[in-house]
Amino acid sequence: MGGYRPGWLNGAVAWITVIYLILPITIILPVSLTDQRFLSLPYHELSAQHYVRLLTTPAWTNAILQSAWIATASTLLAVVLGTLCAIGCWRLSRRSTDLVRALMLLPIIIPSIAYAIGLYRYFAGLGLLDSFLGVVLAHGVTGMPYVVITVSTALAAFDPRLESAARGMGASLLQTLRWVILPRIMPGVVSGAIFAFIHSWDELVVVLFIASRRVFTLPRKIWDGINENLDPAMAAVAVLLVGMTVLLLLLDLTLRRRRED
Amino acid sequence: MSAAGHALSLQGIGKRYGDFVAVRDASLEVASGEFLTLLGPSGSGKTTILMMVAGFVEPTAGRILLDGRDITDLPPERREFGMVFQGYALFPHMTVAENVSFPLRVRKLGRAERDTKVRAALDLVQLGRFADRKPSQLSGGQQQRVALARALVFDPALLLLDEPLSALDKKLRAELQEELKALHRRVGRTFINVTHDQEEALSLSDRIAILNHGNLVQVGTPEALYERPATRFVADFLGKSNFIEGDAVVDAGGITLRRGGARVLARGTADGPAVLSLRPEKIVLLPDGAAEDNVVGGRIASWSYLGTGYGLVVETPDLGPIRVHLPAWRAAVAPAEGLPVRLGFSRDAAVAVLEDAA
Repeated sequence: MGGYRPGWLNGAVAWITVIYLILPITIILPVSLTDQRFLSLPYHELSAQHYVRLLTTPAWTNAILQSAWIATASTLLAVVLGTLCAIGCWRLSRRSTDLVRALMLLPIIIPSIAYAIGLYRYFAGLGLLDSFLGVVLAHGVTGMPYVVITVSTALAAFDPRLESAARGMGASLLQTLRWVILPRIMPGVVSGAIFAFIHSWDELVVVLFIASRRVFTLPRKIWDGINENLDPAMAAVAVLLVGMTVLLLLLDLTLRRRRED
Repeated sequence: MSAAGHALSLQGIGKRYGDFVAVRDASLEVASGEFLTLLGPSGSGKTTILMMVAGFVEPTAGRILLDGRDITDLPPERREFGMVFQGYALFPHMTVAENVSFPLRVRKLGRAERDTKVRAALDLVQLGRFADRKPSQLSGGQQQRVALARALVFDPALLLLDEPLSALDKKLRAELQEELKALHRRVGRTFINVTHDQEEALSLSDRIAILNHGNLVQVGTPEALYERPATRFVADFLGKSNFIEGDAVVDAGGITLRRGGARVLARGTADGPAVLSLRPEKIVLLPDGAAEDNVVGGRIASWSYLGTGYGLVVETPDLGPIRVHLPAWRAAVAPAEGLPVRLGFSRDAAVAVLEDAA
């Protein structure tokens, strides 16, 4: 890969773009370490007091736990349904299954506020508003597209003769799925799970609509906090959220790399 | 692996995809313990027939019987056939032993019984030492043997082989042909093999079924097909052949073919327009004064040295260009372009074949 080095203008634009993307995230790190009692940069020294408070205040720890539970449960839902849908479409492989796959992407394509309003109407009738189950269902459905995409991609690289071979040797559909197809597409499933988890972990709009007093996820808690008082603990939470997301993405990256070796 | 093989009967099976006919009305009996090869160029329908036997492709006509039992509508996983796929289709995430053990696991055999059978199957193909390797750590020939062990481990009624040797280089292919033949003798099962390689078909098979454009053209032992090809296609596809066209008249020993002023004595049974197939290696260069059923004069138009012999093209005024194969060590003369020669061949060497239906 020889080629010319980019000119100074290209380089400058690229760097400005990077800074534009990263700066808002990096600012929360120093803010979270402030020694002041309001949202500001550190004044005299760095302090971990807000992290300590975060992990000792029941309201915050509850929110962290709730978010973790909801993300885990909705990821499970999204992975099971999304994987089955992707495998089904792959096996049938007709024009109609392409349509199904396109439909599955709707939750990402449609503005989440529109989705949230729709869910609000339905969940009101079903009594799912402000319930753990309701949020899990909502996040599971909106997280499914990620799983469908990653699993479909993995299946495209799957050698269909392996399935024929398994069937030819007497394996039932379920045995073929468990012993041959799933192990081969596991990296795609794991990738999808990671994305679905991240999706639920930082989702706010839908939660704002369908949760009120009982369900308080981390993003919602930050949102409320920012409206009520400018507590630096929110910066600490934000760092936690970003840290978790980055960690999961790195995990995804390493898993992919390991697979390519 | 002691049970005998099973007999398969194809009764007028066919497969069409819309307007395209992949296989037309094929009927074939495969005897128990037989090694049968479906031979044909690509697109001849040989793989489609194998896939219909395996159950992966549903025939649009005809029935398939195993030992007299109709299995046409049985799904592949209930047919109990072993299959070696093109490219082997080994499971890359499993070790060699796990691959071979797969059909047994599917059948819910106990661990001890599984281990015994897997070891026996791997020993059968001399791969016992590689049990814990992944397929990607094996050579092509070894992978092929793993595929064989996996296909045989559950005592299948039939072993189906889809171009089992096509991914290997020529020398290895010859080696594995020997092994495959020996394996067939050892296990005594019915093998159905698909190939486009005529040498492989000739050396491996008890019988060969030749296909062209979805039609089953001729079925027979390798010798019968080579010596008495039914059609021009068979003569051309199985080995090399000269073709001589003319008008045939039945005589005492067979037929006499007239072409212009020339006459050729040949095997055949019918009057009228005919095509003779004449194998290049059945023609000799006659020394002066020697006689043969058929003698034709000409000049060497071109020649090449092939290691095992010389390949000549002899331009004859009577019969046109004739290809001749001479064993090099017996060649009486050194070939040279323009050299006048007398070609001789017996009546038995020339056999009347049918033109293929378009």
